Amino acid sequence: MTELVVNNVQKWLGGLQILKGASFTAQRGSIVALLGASGSGKTTLLRCVAGLEQPEIGQIVIGGKTVLDGEKKLALPPEQRNIGLVFQSYALWPHRTVKENVGYGLKLRNVSQADIERRVQAILDRMGLGHLADRFPSQLSGGQQQRVAICRALVYEPRVLLLDEPLSNLDAKLREEARYWIRKLILDLEICAILVTHDQSEALAAADNILLLQDGRIVQQGGPQEIYSNPNSFYSADFLGANNIVKAKVKAVDGKAAVIGGDNWSLNGTVRESSGLNAAEDARAVIRVEQISVTDSPAADGLEMNLDDSIYLGDRWEYRLRRGDFVAKAHGTKQLTSGKVWARIPADSVWVFSAGTQQ
Amino acid sequence: MSTHAQAPAALPITKAAAEKKYPAKMPRQGNANAYRTIVIGLLAIAVLAPVGLIIYQSFLTAAFFSPRAAFGFDAYRYVFTDKNFYKALGTTAVFSFGMVGIAVPLGGLLAFLITRTDIKAKRLLEILVLVPMFISSIVLAFGYTVSVGPTGFVSLFVRDLVGVVPWNIYSLPGMILIAGLSHVPHVYLYVSSAMRNLPSDLEEAARTTGASIWQVSRDVTLPMVLPSLIFAAALNILLGFETFGIPLVLGDPNGIMVLTTYIYKLTTLFGTPTYQLMAVVAVVLILITLPLVWMQRKLLRNARKYAAMGGKGARVATLKLGKSGQIIALSIIGCWLFVSVVLPIGGITVRAFVDAWGEGVNLWDQLTFANFDRMLEVPSLVRGVINTVLLAVVGGALAVGIYLLVGLAGHRNWGTSNTVLDYIVLLPRALPGLVVGLAFFWVFLFVPFLTPLRPTLVSLFVAYVVVGLSYGLRLLQGTLIQVAPELEESARTTGATIGRTWKDVVIPIIRPGLAGAWALIMIIFLREYATGVYLMGAGTEVIGSLMVSLLQTGAMNTIAALSLISIVLTGAGLALALRLGARIHD
Repeated sequence: MTELVVNNVQKWLGGLQILKGASFTAQRGSIVALLGASGSGKTTLLRCVAGLEQPEIGQIVIGGKTVLDGEKKLALPPEQRNIGLVFQSYALWPHRTVKENVGYGLKLRNVSQADIERRVQAILDRMGLGHLADRFPSQLSGGQQQRVAICRALVYEPRVLLLDEPLSNLDAKLREEARYWIRKLILDLEICAILVTHDQSEALAAADNILLLQDGRIVQQGGPQEIYSNPNSFYSADFLGANNIVKAKVKAVDGKAAVIGGDNWSLNGTVRESSGLNAAEDARAVIRVEQISVTDSPAADGLEMNLDDSIYLGDRWEYRLRRGDFVAKAHGTKQLTSGKVWARIPADSVWVFSAGTQQ
Repeated sequence: MSTHAQAPAALPITKAAAEKKYPAKMPRQGNANAYRTIVIGLLAIAVLAPVGLIIYQSFLTAAFFSPRAAFGFDAYRYVFTDKNFYKALGTTAVFSFGMVGIAVPLGGLLAFLITRTDIKAKRLLEILVLVPMFISSIVLAFGYTVSVGPTGFVSLFVRDLVGVVPWNIYSLPGMILIAGLSHVPHVYLYVSSAMRNLPSDLEEAARTTGASIWQVSRDVTLPMVLPSLIFAAALNILLGFETFGIPLVLGDPNGIMVLTTYIYKLTTLFGTPTYQLMAVVAVVLILITLPLVWMQRKLLRNARKYAAMGGKGARVATLKLGKSGQIIALSIIGCWLFVSVVLPIGGITVRAFVDAWGEGVNLWDQLTFANFDRMLEVPSLVRGVINTVLLAVVGGALAVGIYLLVGLAGHRNWGTSNTVLDYIVLLPRALPGLVVGLAFFWVFLFVPFLTPLRPTLVSLFVAYVVVGLSYGLRLLQGTLIQVAPELEESARTTGATIGRTWKDVVIPIIRPGLAGAWALIMIIFLREYATGVYLMGAGTEVIGSLMVSLLQTGAMNTIAALSLISIVLTGAGLALALRLGARIHD
């Protein structure tokens, strides 16, 4: 069931257009991640959905109710949108206890005091916070505060839960745990959630659908696997994963297959540029680091390269490879001696894009 | 607002093109626009009505309620051909600039010593330095009269020693010196906050390249705080033009007049009140002060810009003064404190408990409570003390409530009403208390349904609220802005309307700030004397205005008793403010 429809939302700020027509939908029981670098407009888009920012153009429908319509000059304030928003800073009210923070949304909805008590206690217990109900936010750890913030946004069962970088204030270990249980919680409760993040691993791990934003536009959307393994632009390819970016010349093109090369090297690759490429054009190739496998024994299908150094990273080794002006990183399980090595790079993992001007 | 808009170098587009590209804004719904408009509209009426009445009155040939009143420029003609007016204007200018010439260098020096050096007893000095600011200037002026006036305690003592009194405070230089010294805190307040924000690494960098402390102060510190010094100078010129107490007490006996005392004297000049003439001078005064306020506002913006360049929360490493440095610095501050705090307050304290003094009179033999006893017998004086306390304590609380309502109306407001609010608040700053009181006196005469309220404290309260508006609102806005926007936004997304958000989130969070603001407004209302001068009648006496009218009769004993009560009340207010953690240094 579609809970959220965002259609062609455009927003200006001081003469600068910061959202250039974003459209997407989100279903109940799924998580949509808005992923992008800072300045891509992802937080602004979320705030437009929440009603905290007013776009000039566009429609937004939440749970079947139109909350924004640029043509009809309709813009409902946040309190009439039936949403829950979890802020990056958690924004817990410092003068209220945990119980009062969480129960406030119910109080505003005229739920009886007994019901408030019961529902607040139930959700706190579920999050493992039951014993903290009478504490003040300042007496809680960061992770506890974050769970209280989620309780507060969920307890009155909003149609859409909006999460604005909810994990960025947690330390790395807590973050991995949190993204797992947040996903589980949302799927269990069968609500619709929008997650804003700049952290690709967070988006990949937690979301069912990822919208990649660039410069106020959604440049690609799809499931995590789709968006990771089938990028449609250099920006998408480069934004996700750990990558080698190779500047090269297109030597030959045959349909989707291309040969690129530079100073004393050439590689078979796949044309990913939507408008195609021509021979002799300048190009950039994106090769995911994990797609390159390196051996120290000669391999017929491998490119002979020079290993400058092996760097120990704990769980693996990183190899620094070079051939002419082709410089690359790859990973492996063992230390290799510097010198001659062979790198296998599958042609369908060498994604060739035009050199572009702006990106 | 975190909208992460990292502006790339915007392409230069023509204005017409920009307007075409930029669609109309959507109306903001649920943003309490009706409330904001009503509150700001009411405030506009409260501020503009009295000013409008003054301007209207200035173009009449007689008092506005007189049947003989007709439109005309007679009043302007009279004032602009009056020699005394030009003399008063000239004196006001000399007075203001002279005062700035004393207050700014001294205030800057005190700020430097207290914020940038390791001077001893810093915490105590920080509070002591501000004391003259909290005492009403009529009390201060009276204090100087009784201590260093022609027959003051100190003057007599010095005359016994050297045979003559080597000074005369009833002169323009005397007035300038006293006003300059008592306005040092106003300079100190702004310059010290600028100095606190200076990152000390700038100074340290200069030290490491081989500059001495004094070279660093001259070449690094001074240029960095120059904007705040200029701002403080502009503020003091404004205060100089509005000052009333010091010229009234010290200048009047020798016929030295400034614009405010000129207005006040117009009342008695003709035997009957000449409202149209007073209105003309008030208009002239506003025409001088309004541009000053305007200029100050621009300067403040620039100063903020300047300060923003420094690091935030910069660690301040203090300059080591050394032993002789400490002694010199402490003596400078000590001298200033002696002259501007101990002399007047000490004088008043002694004077309040003696009945007679002079050559050969031993003060110890004269100690008496008679001054206070006699005061208690006069109902109007007792009422004056009670009214002052009522207005300060209850009126101060109500005023904070009103400023809060106004502050909320302007809080996170993006509409045009906010621009209106910005400008309305400027106006009262350009109005001397005397003129505000006069204007409200007229409003209460002029508007029929308000007339019954004129002889009550309500009329004074309304005038006080306008007098304290810009200071009070700045206090409240400073407190409101500290509430993180997400705390309000999270209430909105949880389902609270903007009114509920204010009631349930904003106000509870700023409650400590409200208490501090109340204490500070209380002090402002306690020390106010000029506003009540024209509004005073049976039932609306306040200490300050009683003193102004008693000065005409020369009842020094009573004035001394009232002054001491005023100082004690102010001290209590200040203690309360410090206890409530009011942010005097903003």
